[in-house]
Amino acid sequence: MSLTQETVLEADEARVVYNEDSDTPVEAVRSISLDLRRGEVLALVGPSGCGKTTLFNAIAGLIPLQGGRVSVGGIEVEKASGHVGYMLQKDLLLPWRSVIDNVTLGLEVRGKPKGEARKIAQELIERYGLAGFENSKPSGLSGGMRQRVALMRTLAFEPEVILLDEPFSALDFQTRILLQSDVKRIIREEGKSVILITHDIGEAISMANRIVVLTNRPATVKTVHEVPWGDEVTDPVAVRDRPEYQEMFSKIWQELELAPRH
Amino acid sequence: MAMATDIGEAKTQTAAPPAPKRKPRKAAGRWRITAYQFGVLLALIALWQVGLWTGVLRPYIYGTPLGVLQSFATQIANGTLIWHFWVTAQEVVLGFVIGCSLGSLAGLLLWLSPLWAKILHPYMIALNGVPKIALAPLIIVWFGLGMESKIAIAAIITFIVAFLQAYKGTQEVDQDLIRLMKSLGASQWQTFRKIVMPGSVPWIVSALRLNVGFALIGAVVGEYISAEAGLGYMVYYSGQLYDLNSVWVGIFSLMIMALILEAVVARIEKLLDMEV
Repeated sequence: MSLTQETVLEADEARVVYNEDSDTPVEAVRSISLDLRRGEVLALVGPSGCGKTTLFNAIAGLIPLQGGRVSVGGIEVEKASGHVGYMLQKDLLLPWRSVIDNVTLGLEVRGKPKGEARKIAQELIERYGLAGFENSKPSGLSGGMRQRVALMRTLAFEPEVILLDEPFSALDFQTRILLQSDVKRIIREEGKSVILITHDIGEAISMANRIVVLTNRPATVKTVHEVPWGDEVTDPVAVRDRPEYQEMFSKIWQELELAPRH
Repeated sequence: MAMATDIGEAKTQTAAPPAPKRKPRKAAGRWRITAYQFGVLLALIALWQVGLWTGVLRPYIYGTPLGVLQSFATQIANGTLIWHFWVTAQEVVLGFVIGCSLGSLAGLLLWLSPLWAKILHPYMIALNGVPKIALAPLIIVWFGLGMESKIAIAAIITFIVAFLQAYKGTQEVDQDLIRLMKSLGASQWQTFRKIVMPGSVPWIVSALRLNVGFALIGAVVGEYISAEAGLGYMVYYSGQLYDLNSVWVGIFSLMIMALILEAVVARIEKLLDMEV
């Protein structure tokens, strides 16, 4: 790790317990420490139900920590304040709003004047290939396009950190691969720092700079892998042809397998 | 006067939002269906007439098609039918508008206070279960014998239905959307305005549909109990006099009113649908 690289987000022994005061507390996240560098994509891979989404909610400030701390830009996260942009498996587009008005949602919340917000949205829409669909309703778009609109909405808001929670898992295989490569290109171009939750190891390797493997619930960090090609190869399909890809894939696969099952 | 208890009333079911529209049928098919619809009407009237001719139906118990027509003509000519229709229409429409608008507003606003929603929960269940028309005699006592009491009955019943449906709508809004708004740093009011209110519109609209019927029941039953004018009054009064032909005229007039109101609500539905 080079010292010049700036840390955008830092989790320090973050711990989340549900129903802590009750007789049956559920420890979802035991202790997670990780750092996200500016402009990097960090993937979190773990067995399903291991507490990844809980960790996400904690980073977004939607649920409180029971221990440790999470800070964004050096400031401790205490509540949701728009420091992170959220993108889920569900696109969560508002069906009654047009594409452009969906993209401006976050800006409206922040109190940006309508005209200005629309200008920003229009630029994003044109730059990323949705021109002509500004006034369509989401119901008229394909799943891949809808997710792209959701990404535009996240980008328009210019959050410090973008959280992607299995954003492609509801799409068919081809759309998924295409969108992975699009999203990777877009976040590189915009210089965004991203945490990506996925249980698709291939997706993690092809999109991320580093991959954090989590244990079963309660989640802790098991291993961290750095992809050897850095930012050289950005095409997710080309990445899959590299010899290191297979090697990494089976390594992570084994690490996940080794986790005890209940 | 035990008429009120004879009026069966469906419990307020939480109707699901309308399904996506189908393609409009071809014009030719639509005309054929209209023709069949008139055919059914004519067949029923013919059956009625045949029943009278063969002696299965007694004219003084069932009325006669011709007698209904005569009664209709007389009452149109002397203006009484128009007058009764006009009185009931005002009661229904005013009650409907007051009840639906205040009820929907109250149901939406309740989202802002989960505490009050919890406090009011048992009351909502009780209101949902009780045959709302049972309130009618009370309201007559409070509001008197004039039109005001019928407006009040229709308004109170439709208020309850609109209130419950609108609140239900707010509860059906995707929790992930609310999480998304929170993560954006939205205030509760912003979430309400931008997500909860527009998201509840399909529920509010389906309540309008239900409430056309409830407003009619409210006004008519109110007139049964005690009134000086209106179609309900006319039906009840004619029934007492065994003037079955006039009873039928009143019932058919109420059906026509229901059809008109349904058509108006369908229009509103379409307008809201376009905006939403």
